[in-house]
Amino acid sequence: MTAPSSIAVTGLGLITAAGIGAEKTWEGVCSGRSAAARDPRLDGLPVDISCAVPGLDPARHVGRRSPLMHDRFIQLAIVAAREAVADCGLDPETWDGARVGVVVGCGLGGIQTMETQHRRLLEKGPDSVSALLLPMLVPNMVAGHLAIELRATGPNFVTATACASGGTAIGTAASLLRDGSCDVVLAGGTEANVTPLMVTGFHQMGALSKRVGEPTAASRPFDQDRDGFVIGEGSGILVLEREEDAAARGARVRARLAGYGASADAHHITAPEPEGASVLRAVNTALAQAGVGAGDIRHVNAHGTSTPLNDAVEARMLRRLTGDGAAVTSTKGVLGHTLGAAGAIEAALTVLAVERSTIPPTANLERQDPALELDIVTGEPREEKIEVAMSNSFGFGGQNAVLIFTPGS
Amino acid sequence: MSGMYEKLVDILVDHFAVDRGKITPDATFEELKMDSLFLVEFLLVIQSEFDVKLDDDAATLTDTIGHVAALLEDRTKATAQ
Repeated sequence: MTAPSSIAVTGLGLITAAGIGAEKTWEGVCSGRSAAARDPRLDGLPVDISCAVPGLDPARHVGRRSPLMHDRFIQLAIVAAREAVADCGLDPETWDGARVGVVVGCGLGGIQTMETQHRRLLEKGPDSVSALLLPMLVPNMVAGHLAIELRATGPNFVTATACASGGTAIGTAASLLRDGSCDVVLAGGTEANVTPLMVTGFHQMGALSKRVGEPTAASRPFDQDRDGFVIGEGSGILVLEREEDAAARGARVRARLAGYGASADAHHITAPEPEGASVLRAVNTALAQAGVGAGDIRHVNAHGTSTPLNDAVEARMLRRLTGDGAAVTSTKGVLGHTLGAAGAIEAALTVLAVERSTIPPTANLERQDPALELDIVTGEPREEKIEVAMSNSFGFGGQNAVLIFTPGS
Repeated sequence: MSGMYEKLVDILVDHFAVDRGKITPDATFEELKMDSLFLVEFLLVIQSEFDVKLDDDAATLTDTIGHVAALLEDRTKATAQ
């Protein structure tokens, strides 16, 4: 049996609260300044702050008919996917679309459309409800739209593992390449659920930061005074290919996706399993696939939501795993928690960290929680050669996705 | 053309991003790149806009804008009487 193919990341695209485009997002996370602000969509709610994508004009950035037919989670993914495809140097006009797959993580789907249409139903009656409600709402539609947009007729689906969805999508996409189902996969995540109902739901369960008076200080992963996450929106898309295919066409390999591990806590619907044992199983699976050991990990883009419980459990797990040998960051300090997109956005940022030998700082980490004995990057970006990097994502429901990246050359 | 036709043109431009320059009374929905789902939505929007009731099959993709304008003229007159 031949060794499984190594997977190359040959393109990436990002749209986040730090801006439209991967470079804007990279600059944003490296600045260490939180992008959170008051959000007029949340007026009148107890928590009215978010990390919103600035300046997206769907008619201009996506297409003239986009406002009619795309919910925002689809618009974000289209923008990120176009950037990723342009970056990888392949041309959808000429590629063999049957060999191109699309796997996108999404936690919730078009909730913004659902809330708008539900309000219309209640206020104006059934005749006022849009015929486009369903195609704008259902989460799988994002993969369908990317297929149409990019002539990609290979395997096409959405993964839903809550806040791990983007990581699950990327890991699953690698399997499609290894088993020969596809030659190219667009893999990532998208989410746009900064809506009154969703934000209220997260607030009612105690997940959100209540620091609404100082939005830019609210998301503070691993800080002693953290009190919850700031909801964000965005999308990250990677283009993945088998390394031999990427080499054969002379593609730039931005990093290798060396390993993926997944597991379930089977513990509680929202709280992480306190010992992190299931997460560790996912980590060990990913490390084994990558053929490296825990001691080789030099950088971790943590799940790091800024909730008291997640950060404590994750830090304890990382301490057991790597001691203080890995430089840890949480880019959620700047970008907020983008739910189903987070794993993909953070995977893309991990690719950039490995490629550029630069680890972005964790915003607002002023007083590191003394119980969390980790080397967490804060203040300025840290320059460091990274041979092995890990990106963690954990979802409500106890679903865990761990990705391992190594340098492209 | 009738005032009703002009209103339909505005709806096609504002709600469905159709090029104003491409719309004529003889243009079919198909020619304006309106697919079947957009046509259903169009019928819902005009029913709400003009407060009339139309059958689901009041227009097909090969009908013209002029046809729907005439239909609406009839309905709104009938409602007024």
